[in-house]
Amino acid sequence: MSASDVIGIERLEALLRGDAPRTQEESTRGALLSALRAGTLRAPERLRERVLAAAPAQRRIALRPPSRRLALVVVPAALGLAVAAALVHGFAGSGAKTVQHGAAAAPTVLRAKAQPPVFGAATGSGGAESAVPSARSGLQTQVAPPVGGGGGRLQHTEASLQVRVPDVSRLSAATSAATRIAASLGGYAQSVVYRTPQGGGGASYIELRVPAQNVRTALAKLSALGSLVSQQVSVQDLQHDFAVESAQIAQLRRTVAALQKALRNPALPDAQRVLLQIKLAESKRALAQRLHARTGTVASGTTARISLVLSTEKSIVPVVHHRGRLGRMLHSAVGFLGLEGTIVLYALIVAGPLALVAGLVWGLARLRRRREEQRLLTA
Amino acid sequence: MTIGGPGAVGPGVNAVSTSLDAPLALSVRPGFAEVASEQLDAVYRYLVFLTGDRVAAEDLAAETFEKAFRTWRRFDPRRGTPRTWLCRIARTVAIDWFRAETRRRRREETYARELAAVGEAAFGEGLSAPLEQALRELSPAEREVVALRVLLELDGPSAARVLGISQTACSTRLSRALRRLEERIGDVRE
Repeated sequence: MSASDVIGIERLEALLRGDAPRTQEESTRGALLSALRAGTLRAPERLRERVLAAAPAQRRIALRPPSRRLALVVVPAALGLAVAAALVHGFAGSGAKTVQHGAAAAPTVLRAKAQPPVFGAATGSGGAESAVPSARSGLQTQVAPPVGGGGGRLQHTEASLQVRVPDVSRLSAATSAATRIAASLGGYAQSVVYRTPQGGGGASYIELRVPAQNVRTALAKLSALGSLVSQQVSVQDLQHDFAVESAQIAQLRRTVAALQKALRNPALPDAQRVLLQIKLAESKRALAQRLHARTGTVASGTTARISLVLSTEKSIVPVVHHRGRLGRMLHSAVGFLGLEGTIVLYALIVAGPLALVAGLVWGLARLRRRREEQRLLTA
Repeated sequence: MTIGGPGAVGPGVNAVSTSLDAPLALSVRPGFAEVASEQLDAVYRYLVFLTGDRVAAEDLAAETFEKAFRTWRRFDPRRGTPRTWLCRIARTVAIDWFRAETRRRRREETYARELAAVGEAAFGEGLSAPLEQALRELSPAEREVVALRVLLELDGPSAARVLGISQTACSTRLSRALRRLEERIGDVRE
């Protein structure tokens, strides 16, 4: 029986630490260890000189921070950059596409322009405006928002008006007049909410759709229904969207025509025919989608949306339809952060399997290298 | 065969654990020249045991320290002692050498560069002839675990890290190597 059969790993470790042997086998093993340690071997002087001579020359090595510490810097920096980019995007985007006019700032910011005459100016209004007294505040007489000046471009206009009337009876008349104004200009009232609570006062909330070319007239007439409290107009250019959608539609139509022509060929192999039919179906579906989207864009560009709030003196409600600049900035920044998150998630989804494969390859290569090393050293 | 008491050590590199052998404090980072001076003998001896060839070990030691110079900034004292770190580099260098030697041997078909002749003290002065002979008959893998654990006095986890195996596997390999060494010594004596 050999010594190792009776000397366990724990006892061997103890012998290596210098513990006294307990058995004959351990004495033999201890003697072997001592014999091995008794040998001396120093590096030759020429090797020492060679090694130490090279040391000073290597002192100027670029500092390479440990990866963990680097990650502590890089990760927050990347996050900070992402948030900063979102804020910059939000700040830049909050006033880029949209032209906003707040009534409170209008008197000093906007170029003053005389309000077009209201009474009798409406076409075919049937004297709807005459039901409203000509009570005017300073706001009422100052601006004509710069809408409809797109030079033939497709633009979507949204407006919010808040108009004050003296009492409930005038409120009712003004509400009716507002719907008539919309109808007279070729539009319609999408919704009307009329409220007159018992405590006095009242308000009506009217959503109007007016043809884009008549929005200026509509705003002028609606603001004349009482005292204009606030007015907000935003214009969004849709020409680019329209052009893109038109180009896509043209491209898809060409693709559909080409596929249909190819399918009429009787010599077409069956497998290829099936493929072309699938492509044709996809192209038709995409074409239908684009057409629908373009119809929506055109509809949005040709019809303005006006939110009108009519209220009595006692019931002034804030217009909440549009956000302020800060709100828009934050909204845009959050949207941009969401976009960044989507991109990161997409990158992870795409890179995940690749990283997994790379890890597997690396692991296999490492295993192979280990085996080769083992083979080399046990030969 | 020179027999000493259990735990007795020679006056060389393996005599005591040097000041640089213990794990270094976070703020204490020795200069490279200091580490090289302290660990050169240990690394050289490890390479002699691994290759069984003093000339090759000398070249490999020089290459090891050259490589260590280049990567000295990456050395993290919290993750191990300088000796362990240097032994890992030395092992990589030595394996490349083994690979090249194998290729060369295959190409030339004859192994022109034989191991040190029998009788020459390849593994160190002060070793008995039977022990020298027995060491020569071990495989490099067995000799290196003996060198790391017995001569360089690395602890189990450090030696296992150098070898790239588990601690249990390292202890088993050491136990097997020592047993074979005892058997070979017995054979040589007979």
